[in-house]
Amino acid sequence: MPAKPSLHRAAPRATILRGVRPLALCALALARALPAGAQEHRHGEPAAAAVRWSLGAQAIPLVTRADPALDGQARTETYLTQPGVMGHLSLWGGRAEATATLSLEGATLRRGELNAGIWGEGYVDRRHPHTYLHEAMAVVRPLGAGRALDVSLAAGKGFAPFGTDDPMSRPFVKFPANHHLSQVLERAVAVAAVRGGPLLLEGALFNGDEPQGPGDLPEWDRFGDSWSVRGTVFPAAGVEASASHARLESPEHPRGGVLDQRKWSAALRWERGGGTGARDYALVEWARTDEYDGRRRVFRFPTLLAEGAARRRGVEVAARLERTDRPEGERLLDPFRAPVPHHDLAILGITRWTTLTLGASVGASPLAGVRLRPFAEAQMLHATEKESTSLFQPRAFYGSERMWSLSAGVRVEAGSLHARMGRYGAALAETHRH
Amino acid sequence: MSRSLLTLSASLLVALAACDGGSGGIVDPGGEDCPLNPSQVNVAGNLRAVGEGCVQDRYTSELWVRGGWAYTGTWSRRGATGLGDALKVWDVTGSAPVLRDSVIVADAGTLGDVQVSDDGRLLVVATEGGRGSIVVYDLANPRKPQEIARHSSANTQSGVHTAELARVGGAGGKLYAFLSITSRGSVVTVDLSDPRNPREVWTQQTGSPFTHDVFVRDGILFTAGWNAGTTVWDIGGGGRGGTPASPVRLAEIRTANGKVHNLWWYHDPSGARRYLFVGEEGPQQTGVVSSGDIHVVDVGSANWAGAREVAFYTVPNAGTHNFWVDEPSGILYAAYYTGGVRALDVRGDLGACTEAQKTDLRDDVYGGTVRLCDLGKMGREAGRALAGGGAVSVWGVQMVGSTLYASDMLNGLWKIDVSPLKR
Repeated sequence: MPAKPSLHRAAPRATILRGVRPLALCALALARALPAGAQEHRHGEPAAAAVRWSLGAQAIPLVTRADPALDGQARTETYLTQPGVMGHLSLWGGRAEATATLSLEGATLRRGELNAGIWGEGYVDRRHPHTYLHEAMAVVRPLGAGRALDVSLAAGKGFAPFGTDDPMSRPFVKFPANHHLSQVLERAVAVAAVRGGPLLLEGALFNGDEPQGPGDLPEWDRFGDSWSVRGTVFPAAGVEASASHARLESPEHPRGGVLDQRKWSAALRWERGGGTGARDYALVEWARTDEYDGRRRVFRFPTLLAEGAARRRGVEVAARLERTDRPEGERLLDPFRAPVPHHDLAILGITRWTTLTLGASVGASPLAGVRLRPFAEAQMLHATEKESTSLFQPRAFYGSERMWSLSAGVRVEAGSLHARMGRYGAALAETHRH
Repeated sequence: MSRSLLTLSASLLVALAACDGGSGGIVDPGGEDCPLNPSQVNVAGNLRAVGEGCVQDRYTSELWVRGGWAYTGTWSRRGATGLGDALKVWDVTGSAPVLRDSVIVADAGTLGDVQVSDDGRLLVVATEGGRGSIVVYDLANPRKPQEIARHSSANTQSGVHTAELARVGGAGGKLYAFLSITSRGSVVTVDLSDPRNPREVWTQQTGSPFTHDVFVRDGILFTAGWNAGTTVWDIGGGGRGGTPASPVRLAEIRTANGKVHNLWWYHDPSGARRYLFVGEEGPQQTGVVSSGDIHVVDVGSANWAGAREVAFYTVPNAGTHNFWVDEPSGILYAAYYTGGVRALDVRGDLGACTEAQKTDLRDDVYGGTVRLCDLGKMGREAGRALAGGGAVSVWGVQMVGSTLYASDMLNGLWKIDVSPLKR
């Protein structure tokens, strides 16, 4: 009888060393080379110069311990997470803009980052690496920036106007489980936005298929098979209330023909202060994804999340409470991976994840142009099956329904980064970088 | 925090990030604790389970029975460690199957299909979840299958979902394995005339987006192409010059709601070859609820171009999976996941029914509504087993003699007495 293979197949150590070290060094070198906060400006201000640009870089060395991660056993792993370069270019006084984010997670995060409860793009309980070309959008504002009526047209690869900001631009390093319920990203997208007074309306066409790997590009011939709309009200300074709806065709198969999604989201966001000074932030969001076989609804996945952060004298504390229903799919030899694309329309159950996350970070004065922000995050997670006869039983898989995750690391940043991710042109409220 | 301390912290963390901190080591679970027994599953249905071979450490997939031995595959992952890499070997000569061996297949996460060749010499197992392949075993000793070859290629790498063995060219013809590659929506044909040296002779994308199964009979290849429907190919029996290495497409047949998963071209005792049974695999939460109907296509006498759907069979909150047809008796047995096993009387004219026996079937894939004979309303349901007496999820069925064998993802292998339906 052949020997049973190990279920855990860690990447060879030498490969990790070869792949991560140069990238880590490059990210730091880039960060050091760029002046912090250079080219900062506020949207809505009259453009003082015909050409403005900004460039920034970030990387987060991170250690995470998940207990249990699988079968009652804890795992401790280290990563270089969210390494990336962000750029912004504004021409003709803001009439034309370009925004781009390059992600290097495809090189540093191939095995995924331990993040219990999250799923998507072939990863389960590990956050998947984003695509190298995370975002590249061109924006035109025919009426110019800073007008009472602000109109923009944006196109490229990026976020569809749905749900809330990308977790990368929010207080926690660990993503919420609801990433694939609350954001639609890395699509070939065309977005129209109109903002007048306290009202903002966005609409977009894009391709429904989600990426299948870091090097994947959208299926261009599927552009326009999916759409979304988002309305936002700004009733007071720093406050925004939004509601959005999206219809996605077969997001989980590039050739189409699988389940479609109808997504809803409502969110209330408040922010005061910013930059490196005092800052208060709060977000409450509800979202729901319904999956349809033709006109018949077959699955429903709701999520509810509340998070907040406060920063004083460089010290930030944050908390997040989330409850998300997750589909459970077939897994591969690697228990943290799932087949991409799926083989059929079956799920093995729905798991309800309830997660409390607490975090703290401390800022420091820039070091040779590099901003360092050490942080620690703790998560208390509870997972339970919604149906007792589901094939996927969290207790049997993880060894317990209750789990802990502890993470510590340093946000390493230089230059000017996107403060909000997921909005373009007229839809960008207030500041867009810090 | 001082600048130097921050610099040191950052350096340490960057250095940590350059190291692989993974840990592992998983113990194989054991224990065979049967939660169900025949008396519990016999509370509903007229077909009685007489014995059970229990599998609780893994999910059971497809089965094949021959000469007092049964082979079952395993699927995906049960709990943290119950990997679908075990081929179970059963002695089925008694009233209850007795497990005799578990053969572990390396670099596989699912063994979704198993079949013994018509001469009983070979066992072929399809692998997914790791290296997509077929593994060929010699059955000189049917209790101890011996691996003699493993075939994989770029065309099979993403996973072989099913492998159908069929001889083309009559009793003395060549043995082929027809592989469905679900994620690619393709079929791969492998020449097994030299089983130690399998040779790939054809591949073609046939499904949209999936190809889940094939059926081969009389030199005709049927491919189950999900929303592309059923495609009919001449591979030697269609009179169009097709061969297994160069099939000729004869027709495409659509059935309501697409999602064509599995097929059976029925030859009745009179020699008529009028009906093609099509299994639709709809969305499901496995173990909780499933969906998908059986569709009946009238193909005349292999009049592929004029084929049309005439009837269907539906079970509320349950969906069909694999079939077996007792052709001499005219009984189709269908695995129905949470619905157990359903037996349908398929003799005679299935497209002849009264208006009251018809049902409007909404077609969510191709649009519109079709009005078809409803086999349930026609009283064609002849029997049920494993239905309503406990949690089951039946994957496949096969009849040998007066016994129907049913593989149950949750519980293992059942023996069901179907002698009341023998004719």
